[in-house]
Amino acid sequence: MMTASILSSFTSFVSPAMVSDASGDHGGNASAHLANMVEHVGIGPKWVLLIVFLPLLGFVLNAIYAATSNKTKLPAWTTIALLAASFIATLAMFLSYEGTPYTVHAFDWFNLHYGDKSFVANFSFYVDKLTILWMLFVTGLATLIALYASEYMSHDIGAGYCRFFAAFGLFVFSMSCLVMGDNMLMLYLGWEGVGLCSYLLIGYFYKKPSAVAAAKKAFIVNRIGDLGLALGIYLTFVHFGTIQYAELFANETLHNYINAAAVGDFSGIPGEAQWIALLLMIGAFGKSAQFPLYVWLPDAMEGPTPVSALIHAATMVTAGVYLIARFYPVFLISENALPIVAWIGTITAFLAATIGMAQFDIKRIMAYSTVSQLGYMFAALGMLSTTGAAFHVLTHAFFKALLFLACGAVMHGFAGQLDLRKLSGVAWMKGWGIVGVTMLIGCMNLAGLPYITSGFYSKDMILAEAFITPGYRLIGWILVITAIMTAYYTFRVFFRVFLGEQHAEPGEDFHGDDKSDFHPHAPGWAVNTVLITLATCSMLAISLAYIDKAEHHGWVGSMVAESTASFHSPYAGAVYAAHGGGELHAVAGPVGHAAPGTVLGMDAHKGMILVSGLGAIFGVFVAAYFHGPKGWQGLFVGGRTEAGKCRMDAVAKRMGPIPRMAENKWYVDEFYAMVLVTPLRVIAHVFHWIDKLLLDGLVNLVGFLPRVFAWIIRPSQSGVLQGYAVSMVGGLAILLFVVLVVVMRAGGVA
Amino acid sequence: MTEKLAILWPEIFLFIATCLVMITGQWPSRAIRAFTPWICAVALFAAFGAAMSSPGSGSAHGGMFPEIVPYAKMLIAAVGMLILLLLSGTVDRELEAEVDAGKPFSSIRSNRGEFYAFFMFSLTGLMLTASADDLIWLFLALELTSLPTYIMVAISTERKKSLEAAVKYFFLGALGAAIFLYGFALIYGATGSTNLSEIATVFATQTANGGISSLGMIGLLIAIIGIAFKIAAVPMHFYTPDVYQGAASPVAAMLAFVPKTAGFLALMFILGTVGWNDGTAGGGHLPVAIEATLWIMAALTMTVGNILALLQTSVKRILAYSSIAHSGYMLVGLIAGPGIIGGPFYQNGLAAVLFYLLTYGIMTVGVFAVLASLEHRNGDEADDMDDIRGLCKSHPVLGWTLVICTLSMLGFPPLLGFLGKVGLFTSGIAAGQYALIVILGINSAIAACYYLRLVAAAYIDDKGKVSSPVYASPFATRKIAGVVSAFFVLFLLVFAQPMINGAYNASKYVPAVAGEVEHNDHTDRHTQSSPAKADEDVALTHKALID
Repeated sequence: MMTASILSSFTSFVSPAMVSDASGDHGGNASAHLANMVEHVGIGPKWVLLIVFLPLLGFVLNAIYAATSNKTKLPAWTTIALLAASFIATLAMFLSYEGTPYTVHAFDWFNLHYGDKSFVANFSFYVDKLTILWMLFVTGLATLIALYASEYMSHDIGAGYCRFFAAFGLFVFSMSCLVMGDNMLMLYLGWEGVGLCSYLLIGYFYKKPSAVAAAKKAFIVNRIGDLGLALGIYLTFVHFGTIQYAELFANETLHNYINAAAVGDFSGIPGEAQWIALLLMIGAFGKSAQFPLYVWLPDAMEGPTPVSALIHAATMVTAGVYLIARFYPVFLISENALPIVAWIGTITAFLAATIGMAQFDIKRIMAYSTVSQLGYMFAALGMLSTTGAAFHVLTHAFFKALLFLACGAVMHGFAGQLDLRKLSGVAWMKGWGIVGVTMLIGCMNLAGLPYITSGFYSKDMILAEAFITPGYRLIGWILVITAIMTAYYTFRVFFRVFLGEQHAEPGEDFHGDDKSDFHPHAPGWAVNTVLITLATCSMLAISLAYIDKAEHHGWVGSMVAESTASFHSPYAGAVYAAHGGGELHAVAGPVGHAAPGTVLGMDAHKGMILVSGLGAIFGVFVAAYFHGPKGWQGLFVGGRTEAGKCRMDAVAKRMGPIPRMAENKWYVDEFYAMVLVTPLRVIAHVFHWIDKLLLDGLVNLVGFLPRVFAWIIRPSQSGVLQGYAVSMVGGLAILLFVVLVVVMRAGGVA
Repeated sequence: MTEKLAILWPEIFLFIATCLVMITGQWPSRAIRAFTPWICAVALFAAFGAAMSSPGSGSAHGGMFPEIVPYAKMLIAAVGMLILLLLSGTVDRELEAEVDAGKPFSSIRSNRGEFYAFFMFSLTGLMLTASADDLIWLFLALELTSLPTYIMVAISTERKKSLEAAVKYFFLGALGAAIFLYGFALIYGATGSTNLSEIATVFATQTANGGISSLGMIGLLIAIIGIAFKIAAVPMHFYTPDVYQGAASPVAAMLAFVPKTAGFLALMFILGTVGWNDGTAGGGHLPVAIEATLWIMAALTMTVGNILALLQTSVKRILAYSSIAHSGYMLVGLIAGPGIIGGPFYQNGLAAVLFYLLTYGIMTVGVFAVLASLEHRNGDEADDMDDIRGLCKSHPVLGWTLVICTLSMLGFPPLLGFLGKVGLFTSGIAAGQYALIVILGINSAIAACYYLRLVAAAYIDDKGKVSSPVYASPFATRKIAGVVSAFFVLFLLVFAQPMINGAYNASKYVPAVAGEVEHNDHTDRHTQSSPAKADEDVALTHKALID
């Protein structure tokens, strides 16, 4: 029922758009833009392959280092150099891009033709602006984080160091295959590849049982999503006869469906075609940690922090967003997929934020924050704002990587200490100034402080979209509340860990006898360089919102507009009109489309700046009041005097069991264990015994019979020459007799 | 004559090398003796190159299999090189040790020259089989392939068992040869020709006029059953386990590939004379009697091979029975035939067989290479299941080679053997041989029992307490052969397309067209394709040789 109403809103949104489009320059054909895009897919230059294969070379070299027991920092430098080269190649790809998508062929992989059909999935790469956008931050961040890891992982120099950087290279290779592949099988290869690397890196400390359990959990939960993806690919092939992007998006049937969907008529689109999007969506939910498959991501923080920053915050978890953006045409033809995506995203964003507020482990807070922010991206995708989603992916990649790396620096410096109750005033300690400042910049971005942070612009675009797209106002308000909660939990960390009086207890990695003897170990140049670079990038990303603002709603919008994620033509009129663009506004006027695009009686964007901006500031002050130290550091409202004591403690006591429940993640893991894991275990035991008693018996019998037979005919292999000769001639005679007399008589052939 | 020469260059290179190694193998200088295998390698490389640029055999076969020669000879040269790697150190080990210790070299006791010469002779014969266009040529080529292997078995080890195996192999081989030669004679009697394409024309004419004559049919059946000895198919399979076990592992690897390839090529040519277009308009069937014979042979061969392998504890005997079973699998491809002319690879049984020969050659060399690389203190080769227990731990490279190649023989996806088997399955289904495909499926399952036993022994089992532990043998090239094979088994799945294309092109089959009337036989021959005359010349030369 819920989805039905959303659906009607989707179609009601689309229909006036079609009317308004008559005055636009795109014509009445909804798929014209897409068709235009993929019609002229060219052949790209071969050097683009370097982007993909240099990281793979890194993997190979590191494997060799491991085999030769290298005990230097060579693995790190090799990886950094190759990743940097890959990033430069990506930049070159970006700068040399001439506006038409192209493919680059590495080698034939599957190239089967039968009759008039074919199954082609070559090792080839598809480059359009969406690919470039993703590859820019994937390779760029990978380079920076490799540099960070060169210092962070230095306590493990030797086999572990090689293993880490080998998996690191393999990850970037897989991610490149995922993003750049020109067919769904390549995407799947990359998808599984990043899953494998994630598993390997979460379980990097394989002697630690919790790390092993987390790695298994991540892998298994992802399998559920992967099943959806695999079935989606299968169904795509069955229905459209191809899994190559260029062919799929040029497919005439698909275009007919899009044109039908654009006027709200889903009756002519077979259920099979609509299911593709739903199945792909499940894959995206698994990889991008959306409800109900988000449970693996917080546990994934067992891996080394650079891994959390790169894989579990910036790149891999955005693969689900990429998947949906890439297959946006396929999602548009499904009646229910996009509303489900929007709601799941919203629920995830809200739920994860509530859990994040109650955690004490700063890395886990960041993990839940990642889940929550991914929820924003999915909500944006569901609300027909691929631009908003992609923009938030980009800004989030920078500031969340920054936050993780800053937390990682704290963890590294304080012997594994992550509990915000046991740290205070870190920013004032000697050598920690840079970490403090960059952490502040990251927190401001995540909280979305108005105008001065890039996180504000990208989040604002999503929030405004909720009020522009009809039927999503409720989502809009939930996301606004979530934004306030985000500001609160983000600054809760900052006020408690970085400000106030200096206090630190070492974590579990401290092996000294006397804890008072502990001296934190300030980060070195590599870590500081990376932190400063990322903070700068986060701030510079603000400018992206102003490039191409009038036409495409920012630079990211211009990137998305020239890719398959664009749903340009049919909706353009309505989307821009509702955004209050000058002349375009007039377009929407006549069809009476002004009403949905308002917040509190104001234009959506202006209103949202007010609401979300003030909300963020409010959230910061709440955090300051409950967690901030006394004086200016707590914005003059804080009251904390000691590291572990703040006003929140008293409030939490009065709230009864709720904080504890939130801290325990609303018992979702326990619920899954009870509903899924335990019954499966019981069934497994039952089948184990069935297998052991019944099937093994049968199998043994079946295995036994040929042996009996063998034992009977074995004497024929007596080893006696004459016997063999007689057998041969006898066999010849019998065979001839059987064939000539029996078969030919029966067959009636002379 | 020059046309003929154009396709015979690979054989000529091998023959030159044969003559050279007979001399260098006996040379008193150690360096030159050690150079012997290199001559073989160079010749094989040259033969490979010559085969690559070979013009096919359009003329030689009168157009029956116009494209088979380049692929077949490249296959033979390539696998030949792998086997050559394996052969090093098989003979003269004690003698060379004595020479190292200061004793003078005795050319009487040295076997190196003969050993490599016979190896090259055998490969020459194998290549000649691929070029054959005449029954007599075919017979001579088959015997040239087999005769050297008898002696190679005998001299491959110092043990009596090798001699026993060689004697058995020789007598039974002679019996097999006598049987198919008798078949050839009957075919000649029924058709009046020894030229394969002429025979094909006569059979096509007879078929058009009411069926192949009984004499010709019996001749064909006897020839087919006789050639079954070469591929170790029921009822000619008895020798296999005894001979494999008696021979040294490198020679056993050669026995698994060389005669089998010769046999399958010969069977293709013989079956090509009657064609796969009997019965319905769509084609795809051999004459009933021949199909029934092959059907029974295929079903029995795989079943007997796989079932008897279950009871073995000797790895070599397991591999011998598995070699029998693989012949059974490949017979399915022969029964399926080339499918519709110009049809896709997966419907083409002949292409599947040609590709499977390659995959089988590679994986079997891999497994034997592992056995050849292990030996007991007393110099005996590894053979018992106990010898490979815990191999992945004690000798990781050898262990994993064994695991990979064995899984491939089982047809485990995504390894090379799987790819080979897929072609056999699909072509059988395309030809409507459902019962046979079910038998093939069941046999693949039975085969899993003993292949997985090998894998488990190497990978899972612990070394335990063994009375006579095994050590790595000092010949690095054997290990290299194994690693190269394992590498191909792993990675050819991605890059197999050129080889599949090669096999597909090579399997091109042009059925003979029926002549007008039977009594017009003589003119018929002359109105045929023009190279037939050149063939006659050669055929006459051969007859003269025989006389």
